[in-house]
Amino acid sequence: MVHIDDEHDTYSIQTVNLTKAFMKKRHKGIFGFLRKNTEKEKSKKQSSEAVTIALDHVNLKIRAGELFGLLGPNGAGKTTLVKCLSTILIPDEGTAIVNGYDVLKETTMVRASIGLVVGGERTLYWKLTATDNLMYFASLYKMPRAEAKNRVNELLEMMGLLDRADERLEDYSTGMRQKIAIARALLHNPPVLLLDEPTLGLDPTFSRQIRNQIQELCKDEGKTILLATHYMYEADEMCDRVAIINNGQIVAVDTSNQLKTMVREKELVEVACVNPPLGIEAELKALCSDVDIITLIHGDEAQGKPSRIKMIGEGAEAHIGTVIDALRKRKVQITSLNIGMPTLEDVFIKLTGGAKLTEGGEAQLGGQEAQ
Amino acid sequence: MTQSSLRSNYFVVWNEIVKNIKFLLAYPIVFVFWAIFPIFWFIPFILQGQALVGGLSSQAFAQIAGTPEFIPFVVIGSVLNSYVLSSLYGMGESIRREAYQGTLDYVLASPCNKSFILIGKAVSESLTSTIFALSQLAISILFFGIALTVGVVMPILFILILLILGLYGIALMLAALSLRFKQAHDLAHTLEYVFYLFSPVRYPVESLPLWAQAVGKLLPLTYALIAVRSLMLLKQGIAALYIEVLVLLVIDTALILIGFYLFNWMENKTKKSGIISQY
Repeated sequence: MVHIDDEHDTYSIQTVNLTKAFMKKRHKGIFGFLRKNTEKEKSKKQSSEAVTIALDHVNLKIRAGELFGLLGPNGAGKTTLVKCLSTILIPDEGTAIVNGYDVLKETTMVRASIGLVVGGERTLYWKLTATDNLMYFASLYKMPRAEAKNRVNELLEMMGLLDRADERLEDYSTGMRQKIAIARALLHNPPVLLLDEPTLGLDPTFSRQIRNQIQELCKDEGKTILLATHYMYEADEMCDRVAIINNGQIVAVDTSNQLKTMVREKELVEVACVNPPLGIEAELKALCSDVDIITLIHGDEAQGKPSRIKMIGEGAEAHIGTVIDALRKRKVQITSLNIGMPTLEDVFIKLTGGAKLTEGGEAQLGGQEAQ
Repeated sequence: MTQSSLRSNYFVVWNEIVKNIKFLLAYPIVFVFWAIFPIFWFIPFILQGQALVGGLSSQAFAQIAGTPEFIPFVVIGSVLNSYVLSSLYGMGESIRREAYQGTLDYVLASPCNKSFILIGKAVSESLTSTIFALSQLAISILFFGIALTVGVVMPILFILILLILGLYGIALMLAALSLRFKQAHDLAHTLEYVFYLFSPVRYPVESLPLWAQAVGKLLPLTYALIAVRSLMLLKQGIAALYIEVLVLLVIDTALILIGFYLFNWMENKTKKSGIISQY
């Protein structure tokens, strides 16, 4: 367990009871605006049902120079937290201090201190060249023209895209565009980087390149990085510490290794199998009712990734025979059995009460994230 | 403002203009539009006038307009109205485009003063309007014998700048609405016809009933049209138009202040609701 000594650590990011709720939009059909709300609808509108709590009194402390992972399924509140820290979303309650500046009171200084990268297809001007894009954003960071030109060339070289600097981004691949998005975040050499799913939708080669770059930025340049992700690998292998967020609440914060100790050996069984039939999860839950969590994570058999049945909780090991018998009875091919070697995913499942993740790490939990 | 911050703000405005011009150049079909549309837009005005007054000049028209020349009257109305069109549609659409391109978050998360981005957007729109206005003016000079004396160019430009400043205020308001409601196009369309109806674009303001004339007096276009027509057609000097100039200055100040206030208010509101990057 890593202890945080408040007197000796310097924090680059600190959130204090950060809370954000969104009103749910109710669509009442084409002529819905003509219809008066019934008493039931009125009371529902006023009740908590009409509100999504995206962040619920989040308290985090991220040290200077730390690569900090924020792991959670879609809708857990990761994007909302990143948006609050980057001042593009105003929290309802609490505040955050970024690089010593309050996100509510010193927005300009916060903005000058951060570099923001959000994963996804469109975050740049596709009709402009890489140089044009970066020069434009450099101007928004008040960089003198000559300094901006040098910095743009330096970053394009760092990203290996200097020879394509004058091509429009519409001719770039998704991975190349994401490199330009990272270059944009680095233009003004900010001490803090906020990265929200930076490898989303990238192929393995580009994902690896970008992950390496993120690690180098932290290690070599001493940047504080908040990496919001739903990829287990990124949180597990890259980050100094990881916070697990679910339904807007931070459910655990620690190093990946320490988090893994939260699942004890006898508490974990993983059975890998091919094409498990529909209803098998419910059947196993009925058969092993005293095990806390039984969850089926669908694999991608065509890609050679089997599905996995995970049992987490007291007595999981005692039910191995029951599970194997049930699978054999349904003629399911078992490819491997893992007992007591917890991964961050197991911790995640345990802490989130069974939120599922696919092989790629994409969480299957419902919920709404701020757009 | 220090010299370096002045320079960096100028850099923001300049880059915003360059960016918008490059967007324009990225779609060559736009040039076909710019070449043809001014003709389609403008000639029906003249033909309609010719049909109504029975020629290119009319004494009956002179009694209410102060000049018998219908074509110059309409040309001025049409040219100045080009700036109204670009202001109404341009900035709101530009904000919407930023949201659609996914860049609005990044623009708003930057430390620069957003007013300079908006000024850059507004100036870009004025540049395209100027191309449009010059096309119309060229057609008028080449085909309809409109004469433009060198002496009135500077006073006209002065009035034009006063008009454009007021229109920037309205554009800011529409951009603010685009930020919050994601679509201000229909409102812009309605406002376009408010300008048409209550300002003397195609007919003198005296043709309107008194209540409509009162509405027209709130619009900067009304004063700009009266001033430019006085300069060009009635050969008055700029000094004689001090009332129009003063009123334009007052309207401009009010519209720009309200525009910036509304934009900042809407930006704050949108940041609270979390819908900033929706489109």
